[in-house]
This record gives sequence, structure tokens and C-alpha cells, in this order.
Amino acid sequence: MKKIINLHWRAAALKNGFMDAVAYRAEFFIDIIGSALVPASIQLILWYAVFYVGQANSFGGMSFIELINYTIISVLFSQIRGGNQDFELQEMIRTGNLSQHLLKPIGIVEFVYIRGVAPKLVIASVCICIGVVLSIWLPITVPRIFGAMFLALLGNIIHYQVGAILSTFSFLWEEAYSVLMVKNLIVSILSGELLPLNLFPASMSWVWKATPFYLYVFGPTQFALGKWSVAQYLHALGVSVVWIAVLCVGIRISWHLGIRRYQSLGG
Amino acid sequence: MLQTLRKYCEVYRIQIKNNLAREASYRTNFFTIALVDLVWICVEFSLFKVIYANTPSLAGWRQEQVFFFLGVFFTSDALFTFLFQRNFWTFTDLVNRGELDIFLTKPIHPLFLALTRWVNFSALFNLVLGIAISIFYAKAADFLGGWKWILFVSWLGIGLLTAILLRFAFAIWVFWTERSWAISQLYYHFFSFATKPDVIYPKIIRYTILTALPFALIGSIPARALMTGLEIYEYFWLFGVLIVFFFFDRWMWRKGLKRYQSASS
Amino acid sequence: MRGVMRLLIKPSYKTTEALKNVSFQIERGNFIGLIGANGAGKTTLLKILSGLIPPTSGNAKVMNFVPFERSIDFRKKISLVMGQKAQLWWDLSALDAFDLLRAIYEIPYPSYKKRLNELTELLNVNRLLKTQIRKLSLGERMKMELIGALIHWPEVIFLDEPTIGLDILAAHNLRGFLKQFNQSHKATIILTSHNMEDIEELCPRILILKTGELIYDGSPNTLTKKGEIRLKLLLLQYPTPEELAKTTELPITQIEVEQESQNPKHIIFHIKKELIITVLQKLMRLYQVIDMSIEEQSLETVIQQIYEKNN
Repeated sequence: MKKIINLHWRAAALKNGFMDAVAYRAEFFIDIIGSALVPASIQLILWYAVFYVGQANSFGGMSFIELINYTIISVLFSQIRGGNQDFELQEMIRTGNLSQHLLKPIGIVEFVYIRGVAPKLVIASVCICIGVVLSIWLPITVPRIFGAMFLALLGNIIHYQVGAILSTFSFLWEEAYSVLMVKNLIVSILSGELLPLNLFPASMSWVWKATPFYLYVFGPTQFALGKWSVAQYLHALGVSVVWIAVLCVGIRISWHLGIRRYQSLGG
Repeated sequence: MLQTLRKYCEVYRIQIKNNLAREASYRTNFFTIALVDLVWICVEFSLFKVIYANTPSLAGWRQEQVFFFLGVFFTSDALFTFLFQRNFWTFTDLVNRGELDIFLTKPIHPLFLALTRWVNFSALFNLVLGIAISIFYAKAADFLGGWKWILFVSWLGIGLLTAILLRFAFAIWVFWTERSWAISQLYYHFFSFATKPDVIYPKIIRYTILTALPFALIGSIPARALMTGLEIYEYFWLFGVLIVFFFFDRWMWRKGLKRYQSASS
Repeated sequence: MRGVMRLLIKPSYKTTEALKNVSFQIERGNFIGLIGANGAGKTTLLKILSGLIPPTSGNAKVMNFVPFERSIDFRKKISLVMGQKAQLWWDLSALDAFDLLRAIYEIPYPSYKKRLNELTELLNVNRLLKTQIRKLSLGERMKMELIGALIHWPEVIFLDEPTIGLDILAAHNLRGFLKQFNQSHKATIILTSHNMEDIEELCPRILILKTGELIYDGSPNTLTKKGEIRLKLLLLQYPTPEELAKTTELPITQIEVEQESQNPKHIIFHIKKELIITVLQKLMRLYQVIDMSIEEQSLETVIQQIYEKNN
């Protein structure tokens, strides 16, 4: 018989995460400004420069309005993607704090994820509300907002899973945080939060299709804006689930190997 | 006067020498940070690559001009990272842990001591890369080169000076608030505005990044000055902004020190 | 809240003010111990004297300088060592750190070399000069801190808890060094410490601060009445102080009968060491001694009594 999933520590981790977000609200808001408003306004400015200063009528097949809509809606989802729990894992391994956590009867990878996802859930609910309000003016519908947010949340899981696997480099190498930084930089452009991925020249589109990163922001935004059919959406969901399953196995293997090495070195 | 200058140079020389000694014992770091920087440069380039795949000109700038700008910007930023970046982060700790006390009793300007402590050699990689990019795109971007590379160097100096004055204005709040980390973070958020040429911005933002938050002076204005030259009034403007920032920083530093002293007894 | 503290170094007078009624002056080359419970104002006093904070009223002078002006010349002549704040970098060798200090203080190379040799030899750390600070023991690190603080031959040295966290041997060595440096270079040293051994061994003069007020200024020996002991006796009989005074031929002020309600009562004689035998002989003619002990006053107990008084 399989054990019933222990909800107790998971609930505690989630609560702990909420408390943290509340305690550091100044940092929390500044972080939102930095990760949402600044990049979005730069994007808007770019489109403004292309269309008004440059007098263009269409840009990569998109009109000015379409680009603006994309930028605004993409902010709702770029806020959900990622977190820095993977850096937390990495730091734990590097400093040896992992040892304390290994003694507790919890899955450390999952524990860190749940604690860090709490504020993201708050943001997701706020973003849904904003989306619902925006649906009055923008070409988005309420069911599609919910659907898109669901995809974005799956993306959040994938993002962490990738980070969790990469953080195991820390078992081998002091400077593993740089791997995570490189990953984040690549994600910033391939997730579609800096610009719509369909602006990539057709010959280059395999680049973003090869990674799961487009599922974080580009996919949800396209679906919310009605650029993706339901069939395309379901396909993206399927792709997400496959990624999650594959990465799950990846985490098991990499952490198993990593911890074995960690313990053989005496922690 | 000359004596004092000699002393400051000598202190700086030893700080750099000591940093080299330290660097020797943590070698791996160099390549990791260089790698992260390289990827960052690639991301900025691909962003413009994608945009120019769809349009021949952005606010009147051709792709080569933007790339030359990126070269100047990366060089200027690398220079700041090389010499100052880390010092500003540790400045917070100096104040919070009261370690500034020691600096204040030394017969040298405490800020000089605090801001020359760390040198980040891994930024040299970016510096070389930035210069290489600038040289590579110079001709195509209408920068004539020749003796004008002297101007290139002096504009880098202005970019560096701007970054120092601006970063300082964000760091100095450490004297008043424990949340100064978040304020420093803001600097890096606003910094994104420096990564694009100032000509693309609408009036209000352009005005802001030329005055109150002069991020445009880090890379954009130098690049523009080198390629097309500036209007006469823009030179005065720039000079004025730097002077104002200098005095603002100095005033804040004095206020901050006063506060530090009254709080530390 | 007004007080004047005077600090005399060289034949000139410096006047500083801070705290409450703190006023004193110090001759050049003195070794002063500054004592007080936590929060008594020791560190504030040191900070005022080293120019880190201004006195709110009154004035301070150190070697003719007003410390808070922090003139370059003043800063070149003083040194502040805080046992809990390191000035040397973790991941550099002491030698590299000293080299920086040489440049900051503009010490000519030959004198730098000479002083470094002298200091490292006195502290016996020559072989550790090229080791990274973080790889040194706490004691060795403190020695390096001291060298760093003294390399510019300061005329006034402020030491805040230099022996904190050190083991007995390391603390002892450090004290020996400080004493020697003080004597050979005529540097004025002001030391705060919670360790009374530091004070007793080093400081011919101490200042005791209590909640910001200077309550004692003088030699530690006067405070402990060096040479005087407490002879504590338990007698079978219960003589009055007057009877005892008559028997022992001592002034009654030196005799103390413990005022405890229950019997038996202890009797304490405050007398010089040499008198113990005489007093005992006289007493034993008339009374029977049940128990006896001899206590010497340590600085530690005296200070403890001072702290506790009026609290």
C-alpha cells in the first residue's frame, strides 16, 4: 500500500512562504517593479520606436496594437514564471545547510518549491483579476485567462525542475550559481517575455521550440489573446506534462547521484 | 597636493595588487562570471537581431549603429564592474556592521578606501569583448576612428563617472534604512533603460534618463556622440547633470556620515 | 549633562567633553585602563577621543587636536583597535594588508621594514606573515591586527577589548607585548577590557565609568589597598568590637563584626599582611578560634562591588 501523501509539512511550507512574502513586502514589490514594469515598458517603447519614430505599418506581421496587447498580457504571465528557489537549493548544497534538511522527514526539492511558490500563487490570483478587468478592453476572454494561467503555472513547475536539476552541479562545483544565471538569461529571451517569439525569423524558430521555455509566457499569452486554437492549447498542455514527467525523472537521477556524492564526502 | 596624489595612486596600486593576489587563489571564478557576461551580451544582441530581422531601422538607427552602441555600452559597463561594482555592494555591509569606523580613523578619504577595495578582474573579459565589438562595428556605424579613439576613451570615462555617481546615489540610503538592499536593487532595474539607445524612448522617459536618472550617459550618449556628435547644448546639459549629481552625492554623504555618527555612540 | 574631559598628552592640554562629568587628563606615555560595565560609556569615550563622534557638549583634545575634526595629521598619529571589528581582510596575507597600510600612512619603506621586523619579532609571528588571515588562529589574527594598528608608530593608541576571545596564553603574550611597546615607544595607550588581568598587569592608572559618569580615577593599587588583607575569624565567644579593639590594639575602624542575625558571627579584621600573626596571637590569649580564613582584595572583586553598589 502506498502511503497517503502527507499534507502536513506541505501546508506548513506553503504557509511559511506566504509569511516570508509578507515580511519582505518592500523587496517583494520592488522585485515586481523590476521584473514586470521595467521590461514591459522597455518593450512598449521599442514598439513605439518602431511604429511612430520609424513609421512602420506592420512589424513581423504584427500591427502596433497587436504588439501592445501582447506586451501587456505577457506581463500577467511573466510574473508567474520562475522564482529563485533553484538558487536557494544551490546555496543549500554549497554551504552544507542541506545536511540539516536531509534529516527532516520531507522531500527537500519539493519542500523548497512549495515554500517559494506561495507568493507566486498570490500573484497569479491578482493577475487573473487584472486579466478579467482587462478583458473589457482587450481581446481576451475570461475562460481563456484561466486556461492560460493554468499553463503558466505548469511552466512555473517546469522552470523550477530545470533549475533543480542544474543546481545539482553544486555537488561538484562551487560556482554552480552561474549555470543558473545563464539559464535565466536564456529563459528571458526564449520565454517570450522580451518580445513575441513569432518575431524570430522562421529559420530560427526551432531554437525556441526546442526548449520548454516558450510555455512560460509566450504560450499562455498567445492562448489568452486567441492566437492559439483550443487544439493548440491542448497540445501545449500535453507538451508541458511530458516535460514535467521527463524532468521529474531527471531530478530523481541527478539528486540521487548528487546526494550520494555529498554523503560520501561527509556532508 | 602632488604628495597627496602620489599617496592615492600608491594606495590604489596596492589595492589592485592585493586583489590580484586574491584572484590567484580563486581562479575558477573568472571563467564563470565571464561566461554569464557572454550570455548576457548574446541575449542583448539577439534581441536586436530579431527586431532588425523585421525592420531596417529603429528610430533612425541602423542595426550596425545599435551594435556599435552595444559595444560602447558593454565596455563602459565592464569598466564599472571591473573597478567599482562590488565595492558598492560591500559598502552596505561596511555601514551596517559599523566597519566604517576603522576607515574613518585612517589618514585618507574613507570613501576612496571603501570604493577601491575590490577589483573584479573577470569583467576584463567583457571589457575586451566590448572594445572588440565597438571596433568591429565602428566603420559601419559611421564612427571614423583614427585619432577619435581618444574621444572613445574619454567618453568611456564619462560613462564610468556617471555610473559611479548614479550608483552612489542609490547606495547612500544605507545610512537611513535597513532596506537599502532593495533600493540598490532598484538601480539594477532602472539600469535596463541604459541597455537601449536613448533615441528610441518617448520624450518623458528620454528626459528622465538624461536628467534625474541619467542612465543614458552610461552608454547611449557616448555612442551617439561618437557616431553623429551631439548638439552644443547637449554637452552643457551633460556637464550640468554630472555636476549636480556630484554635489548631491557629496551632500548626501555628509548627511549620512552625520547620521552614522550620531547613531553609533 | 555637562562635563569636561581633559586629556593631556605631550606638554599640551586637550579638552574634550562627552558623557556626564567626565573630566581627566593624561600624560604622554601613560597606560590607562578604562573600566565599566556594558553600556557604561567606554566605547563612546573611545569614539569621541578617536574622533569618530563629536561630544554633545564640552570638549576633547588629543595632542592639541580636536579629534572630531579628524585632520590628516591627527589621524596619522592615532590608532584604534576594536577587538570585535577586524581591519585586515580575510583572504589576504597579513603582509599584503600591511603593505596597504604603509601606503595609507605614507611610511617610508626603510622605516616600514624596520618596524615590521621589530613588531613581528616581538610578537613572534614572522613565519605567519604570508599566510592568509583566515587561516590564522584567533590569537595570531589579533597579533596581526595589532601590528597593523601600530605599524605607523601612533602616539596615541585606543584599544577596545583587545584580548576578547583569546585563550589565557595568547592574552598573556599580547599583554607582554603591549607593555613593552608602551615602554619602548612612549606611546600613550588607552585600553578598555572586561578582563581585569589586562588592567592589573598593564595599567598604572585606571578610570572607572559607571552609567556615563567617571567614578574613579587613580591607581588600581589604591583601589584594592594593596598589601591589605581581610582576616576572617569565627570565635567561640562573642566579644564586642570594642573588646576586640582593646585586645588586638587595633583601631576599631579596622574591625568589622558581621551583622547577621544568626550565630555564630564572623569577625573581619582589615589589616596589613605582616600583622596577621601578632593579631592572632593576641586574640588567642582570650578567645578560642573555631575557623579562620584570609582573603586578598582582587581588582575584580572591588570592581564588582562598585558595579553592584546603588544598583
